[in-house]
Amino acid sequence: MAITRINIGPVHPSTHGVLRLVVDLDGDMIERVETHIGFLHRGVEKLVETRMYMQSPAYMEKLDYVAPLSYDEAYVAVVEKALGIEVKERAQYARVILLELQRIASHLLWLGTMCNDLGQMFTVFMWSFKDRDMVLKLLEEASGNRMFYVNVRLGGLQRELPPDFEAQTLEVMDYMEKRTAEYERYIERNPVFMERMKGVGVLSSKDAKDLGVTGPVLRASGVEYDVRKNNPYYVYENLHFSMKSQEKGDNFSRYRVRIMEIKESIRLIREAFGRMPASGDMAGMPIRLRSPEPVNKVSKLSRELPRGECLMYMVADPQKPYRLSIRSPSFINLAALSHIAKGQRLADLFAILGSLDLVMGCVDR
Amino acid sequence: MAMVDYDGEEFRNARKEMDGLVEKSLEGRELRPNVIFAKLAEITKSAAVTKDMIRWSRQNSVWPMQFGLACCAMELMDFGSARVDAERKGYLLFRGTPRQCDVMVVAGWVTKSMIPEIKRLYEQMSSPKYVVSYGECATCGGPWFESYNIIKGIDQVLPVDVYVAGCPPRPESLFAALIKLQKKIGGEIED
Repeated sequence: MAITRINIGPVHPSTHGVLRLVVDLDGDMIERVETHIGFLHRGVEKLVETRMYMQSPAYMEKLDYVAPLSYDEAYVAVVEKALGIEVKERAQYARVILLELQRIASHLLWLGTMCNDLGQMFTVFMWSFKDRDMVLKLLEEASGNRMFYVNVRLGGLQRELPPDFEAQTLEVMDYMEKRTAEYERYIERNPVFMERMKGVGVLSSKDAKDLGVTGPVLRASGVEYDVRKNNPYYVYENLHFSMKSQEKGDNFSRYRVRIMEIKESIRLIREAFGRMPASGDMAGMPIRLRSPEPVNKVSKLSRELPRGECLMYMVADPQKPYRLSIRSPSFINLAALSHIAKGQRLADLFAILGSLDLVMGCVDR
Repeated sequence: MAMVDYDGEEFRNARKEMDGLVEKSLEGRELRPNVIFAKLAEITKSAAVTKDMIRWSRQNSVWPMQFGLACCAMELMDFGSARVDAERKGYLLFRGTPRQCDVMVVAGWVTKSMIPEIKRLYEQMSSPKYVVSYGECATCGGPWFESYNIIKGIDQVLPVDVYVAGCPPRPESLFAALIKLQKKIGGEIED
């Protein structure tokens, strides 16, 4: 049978950014998907080399604009490692709280856009954005901005959390817990959602490992790997963190993992507030013209972002990085798309693409 | 309101008259008079009122395009969600195709490889069309002004009607920008 080649993108309502796909079709079945990226490339890694250490967090946040704080924190952490700076204990708890809040916001955005892609389930989009706004409001309270926080400083945070932050957060978490149950009830009884998610876009655990995917996509395929558990940082060791995974590796499993992660994040935030030392300081070093001299020439660390594992590799020079290399989870997860989509129907392509939760800013860098 | 005979002499005359009126009243704007305008002229029997009505209808149905480039697109999505409730001012749901849109909100940095795509999208929009430059990157390059792959402002490529500053601007800012655009369409403020 003749192969039909169609072009999708770079501007398409369902590609979540500017991604171009060239799809070869045999009838309605996908033979091959070719991804063309680079429409958002702006040379972050090169720009960072020309900036002082603490000028760069603002650039890092624009990598993954759905979860900016996670990248911000990962970058500052690698600088801390290079400069040999310890993070105060209270600040560690505060960072964990903010990171988990960011994870909730990110997953909620994913949920809304995913349901939107699956044929105009616009209700979920409206709901999840309303809830996400409540989380963003908390982060705004803590940092002063709605979306880009630049809140993490060497050794701590920019400033103490606001006095009523704990009460506010716990209130929102109570609400969020109820809402998550509501989402599950609403979504998992929806025949459109279930038809298009269950059994579609299966990624086996072997393939997942071979392709190097991370994050919820990997855990949905039955591989138990989470940096927070396998290589814990900050106070994740002290918190009773339990990894969430699924067996089947289809779209629905990826949805389940994210929903369960929202619940787990809610639990983690509550626990972190309970264990946070009451006294102590969380303010980090203010941004000065000169930062301390680097202790380690080469430093690397990995972080569990909402989208997967991020690896930061930095070769340090005095005052500014000599080279910063970023392993972005979205880029690696995008590579799995052509593998998963092969043999599926064209209509399912966007369900699969959506379930991978890609951020093109993070892919192109 | 009387029924109009669309095949009759009367309608054709009104249409012809309206063509002249609209062309005269909206000089410089790209516009093709159509049946609705002809009908409007027939009902109102006044060029000034017709012009006002056209402007009024245009002003109150500004449809944005679903076109997000980068970070600011997140706030664009928030703009389309429940909290801001943009629909009450006529900014209906984001349309997926440029042919149904009136305003293109350029949200994000513009790379060299995106320029031809953005130009093509703009050309596909039906006139009259407007552009809002949303955020620092689209306005002047923002933090990427030293990058080798970013152009310093979408106004180098497209004619921009309203600029919004901020990194990213809050969704409310987009609301304010579109209200400004509405005033501009209505002729309340000058270019």
